[in-house]
Amino acid sequence: MWHVRICYSAIVIFLLCAVSAAAQSSSSNKNQGEAAEFEQRAREYVRMREGIEGQMPKLPKAATAEQIEAHKSELLKRVLAARTGATQGQIFTPAASAMIRSIIATEFKGRQREDLKKEVFEIAAQGVPVAVNVEYPESKEMLEVPATLLLALPQLPKQLRYRLVGTYLLLVDRENNLIIDFMPNALP
Amino acid sequence: MRSIRLLNLALIFAVGGIWTVNGVLAQGEQAPPPPATAEAAKPQAATLPASSGVKLPSPVVLPMREGSVKIAVIGDTGSGKPEQFEVGRMLNTYQIAFPFDSVLMVGDNIYGPEKAHDMKAKFEDAYQSMLDKGVKFYASLGNHDGSNQRFYQHFNMNGEEYYKLEKGGVSFYALNSNYMDKRQLEWFTTRLAEDTNKWKIAFFHHPPFSSGKFHGSDESLRKVLHPIFVKHGVDVVFTGHDHFYERIKPQDGITYFVAGSSGQLRKGGVKKNSPLTAAAFDQDMTFMLVEIAGDELHFQALTRTGQTIDSGVIKRRGA
Repeated sequence: MWHVRICYSAIVIFLLCAVSAAAQSSSSNKNQGEAAEFEQRAREYVRMREGIEGQMPKLPKAATAEQIEAHKSELLKRVLAARTGATQGQIFTPAASAMIRSIIATEFKGRQREDLKKEVFEIAAQGVPVAVNVEYPESKEMLEVPATLLLALPQLPKQLRYRLVGTYLLLVDRENNLIIDFMPNALP
Repeated sequence: MRSIRLLNLALIFAVGGIWTVNGVLAQGEQAPPPPATAEAAKPQAATLPASSGVKLPSPVVLPMREGSVKIAVIGDTGSGKPEQFEVGRMLNTYQIAFPFDSVLMVGDNIYGPEKAHDMKAKFEDAYQSMLDKGVKFYASLGNHDGSNQRFYQHFNMNGEEYYKLEKGGVSFYALNSNYMDKRQLEWFTTRLAEDTNKWKIAFFHHPPFSSGKFHGSDESLRKVLHPIFVKHGVDVVFTGHDHFYERIKPQDGITYFVAGSSGQLRKGGVKKNSPLTAAAFDQDMTFMLVEIAGDELHFQALTRTGQTIDSGVIKRRGA
């Protein structure tokens, strides 16, 4: 009889492993799906913004400071006008936020998380506003996004940047410094 | 004065060299080369012409070989403070004796707002003499720098946040350490794999190795970049962010520098007895002069008042 019990035990263990693997695979597929949707929404913003910039005089690659300043101001003004009514969560949807939150929690544990929290709160203390359609102040420092975290997060179009401020993760347009969306509790 | 200006221009053109931005070379991967060493250089005591009426506080101890690549390195400059201007004047003085035609900037090029008058007050005015002589500044971006600096004519970034330039058989890679994403890493590793130049030098803002009390080593960046540097034969890395000078002991054969005190200073900012430190100085602002000749990179670090606080020679890893 003992050999029958061993066989039954082996079958049960096998079934449990199979179910667990299927669940992990399903979760991973779900994350990939959410990441793809998040990236798609980010690209939609960039397409809109590129359409606007395409109607402006092109900024030379060796521009004067005056030309850069004028281009940035005009781009910001036009994009703001095109985004009236933009609200938080249009790119960082609840599902995307949960996915990103879990990536950050996995990447930063223990002392690393405490060190990162200390740095992001130093930035927050400088008075960086966290709101949609507001400019990230040019005079304020930007915290480097840890390289290992960037490799784990969904890839953004080159025109956009993740920025950590306090417990928030921002999405910022690198050319006009516009905060286009943010998510709270990114770093619990 | 006119004859001095003419002499300066003649020296600039005589050194020569061609810069290409985002150039691509086709080459297979290289095997990791053996480690390099830093040895004390023998002073050659380059001096200024007697007719200049200007005296160097300490001699240039670089070999001053014909046809060598001559550059300067500055970091964390853009404060607009009087001390930044003092460093700029001293750098200009040494440029006459050691005619570098390029300056690498390791980030935090402008602190605070970046309006046109800020670019003038925190950069152009401090280095106008060198700009007038045709010295080119090549910038990388620090955490205080907006992405739009890549368009600024005097930073020679050609509209890119990260780029490669070549001079005299040396490849210089300017990286954006604020945002080391997959895209930049793919670009970097592809360029390195194709690079046929013997010398590969990287410069960017955040230091993978630093004995700073305030910032210190950027371990996340180190984890990502250092293996790439080792694998692809990068010899020397210039960084900033910590506001002092430090030469790091060779790490797998690579010499890292922290050169972040050309406009800001954190006195006492270096941890004493750090196992990383080969040489460090945190009592005054500094800049670096670098000469690459054959298989040797000679360096000299000087203070705002022209005192030499470190010098040496690094042999190329593959030599």
